[in-house]
Amino acid sequence: MGNQTLQLPERVNIDTIPDIYNRVKEMVHKSSDSDTIAIDFSGVVHIDTAGVVTLEKVQTDANERGIELSFENLSPTVEKTMQAFSSRLLEKPAGKQKPHILEYVGEYTYEYWITLRDFILLLANISYYGLVALFRPKLRRKGEVIRQSNFIGVTALPIIMLVNFLIGIVLSLQVGIQMRPFGAEIFVAQLIGFAMIAELGPLLTAIMLAGRSGSAIAAEIGAMNLSEEIDALRSMGIDPIPYLIVPKLYAILLTIPLLVAVATFVGIFGGAVIGYTVFQIDFNAFYNEVVFILRYYEIMTALVKSIVFATIIIVVSSFYGLHVEGSAEGVGRATTSSVVVSIFLVIVADSLLGLLFYL
Amino acid sequence: MANPIISTKYLSAGYDETTVLDDVSIDIYENEITVVLGVSGCGKTTLLKNLIGLMRPTKGMIEILGHDMVYIQEHEYNRLMKNVGVLFQGGALLNSIPISYNVAIPLEQHTNIPDYLIQEIVRLKLSLVGLGHAYNYLPSQLSGGMRKRAALARAIALDPAILFADEPTAGLDPVTASSLDNLMLTLREQMGMTLVIVTHELSSIRRVADKIIYLDKGKVLFSGKLDEALESEIPEVKNFFSV
Ligand SMILES: Nc1ncnc2c1ncn2[C@@H]1O[C@H](COP(=O)(O)OP(=O)(O)O)[C@@H](O)[C@H]1O
Ligand SMILES: [Mg+2]
Repeated sequence: MGNQTLQLPERVNIDTIPDIYNRVKEMVHKSSDSDTIAIDFSGVVHIDTAGVVTLEKVQTDANERGIELSFENLSPTVEKTMQAFSSRLLEKPAGKQKPHILEYVGEYTYEYWITLRDFILLLANISYYGLVALFRPKLRRKGEVIRQSNFIGVTALPIIMLVNFLIGIVLSLQVGIQMRPFGAEIFVAQLIGFAMIAELGPLLTAIMLAGRSGSAIAAEIGAMNLSEEIDALRSMGIDPIPYLIVPKLYAILLTIPLLVAVATFVGIFGGAVIGYTVFQIDFNAFYNEVVFILRYYEIMTALVKSIVFATIIIVVSSFYGLHVEGSAEGVGRATTSSVVVSIFLVIVADSLLGLLFYL
Repeated sequence: MANPIISTKYLSAGYDETTVLDDVSIDIYENEITVVLGVSGCGKTTLLKNLIGLMRPTKGMIEILGHDMVYIQEHEYNRLMKNVGVLFQGGALLNSIPISYNVAIPLEQHTNIPDYLIQEIVRLKLSLVGLGHAYNYLPSQLSGGMRKRAALARAIALDPAILFADEPTAGLDPVTASSLDNLMLTLREQMGMTLVIVTHELSSIRRVADKIIYLDKGKVLFSGKLDEALESEIPEVKNFFSV
């Protein structure tokens, strides 16, 4: 093609660059070895940094293809701008090397192991300080147990009551309809009583708490972690576990049995309402049936379950909070994981305890 | 004298009940570096937020590049802000993406430049603030001063006509601070940029300032050339320059 010339416009800036770039690219494609392209700056009044970068880039790209691309008729001011923002200033980005596949597998396994180890360590730490801080209240944040009990327990009460009431209604309706052909509607009372006390009361309460309080704890500790508040506590010689986490453990251990009791009662009441309105079982008969089926054993089961669930929620949510990395997005991720993992572990524990108590 | 490209008249603004700015009238001229001074809490950040339209004044008038900032329409505002770069006091980088993407955002959103060139432009901007090596880093992997610099790179991504910088050199070491001062001088000289800078660093002020605006309890106590400020007999201003 021989020699080509490109006349630059008055302003070489972010608005005109796409066009200039495309035209130069076309000229370069049309050229062959040792052809020349001249970029004529005679009309240029203003060039911005993006313009400098673009022209230098097309020049190096053309040179690599053996095409000579030259800048001509630069005014002193343009020349100075070209100097000020020249690519000679560029620093090399620090590169990251791609790991080998085995390295990847190894690292992944190792991290998995580390996570598990950290989790068990945290569990041990929380249990230890849970006992020690009973006798050394100074280790805990002042007033925190009360505040947390209020947040975990009292404010969660309405939603837990509502959910259990609805489940009681639905369950007794479903069961009653199945029983009706046999004239055995009265067994609804026994079934609701048993299911609520030994199973659904603790489980539903724990799931609500995991979603409500567990997520809040993970987010709170995660945010504190990011803003170096946890480090600050450590630097003051204050262990964050008894200071921040143990009060939450106490609060949840104190409140969960009460929450479960209320939840169970309301669930059974929901069942009784359906029993009365749909199946003509009167409240007194319903009550007698529930008391008949009720043993201390079931109440014990419920208590043990609630304590285990509560501990799971606290340990999991503080674990994810303490391991938040990066930014606010990390807090979001930690919160999600904490809820999913706590609910999963609560259900696993529920199954195991069920087997333990009733096999 | 030329028309000011930024100007306010009887601007008052505040938060809820409290009035932070009280009858502030200032003029800022093209291609000048104006430094806004004052003790912390006097309302410098609030003034910047009003100027760039992120806060509505309770009374008064603000004009930037001929646009009325108080009654500006959304689309007109977005178009105007292509020509305005802002460095926030806290940096305000998007934390979940590397700093290179942060700098690329305005280029991707507001221009048709191919990605291939955008990457080069981003590298230049990061190199200008001395962060070329940190291209792939997340903001959380940088120190406070580095984040400030990355945020500056983002603010100048589009070569804006006006740059607002809220304490760009606060917390930086003197070497980096002076290189950023030089960058600002270069931007003004080569790009014809107008800069409005909030800073307390006396050495920075001496090096870069053309004009000084001294705020005190939300009022303009002094406004004029640097030399005049250095000679000023107003007690607060005198005191500021003599410590
Ligand atoms: N979001 C806010 N809500 C209420 N008051 C604020 C807010 N931001 C700043 N202020 C108050 O406005 C005053 C000026 O703040 P600011 O403009 O940030 O000062 P500075 O000059 O240090 O940048 C201060 O007294 C501060 O307490
Ligand atoms: Mg401020």
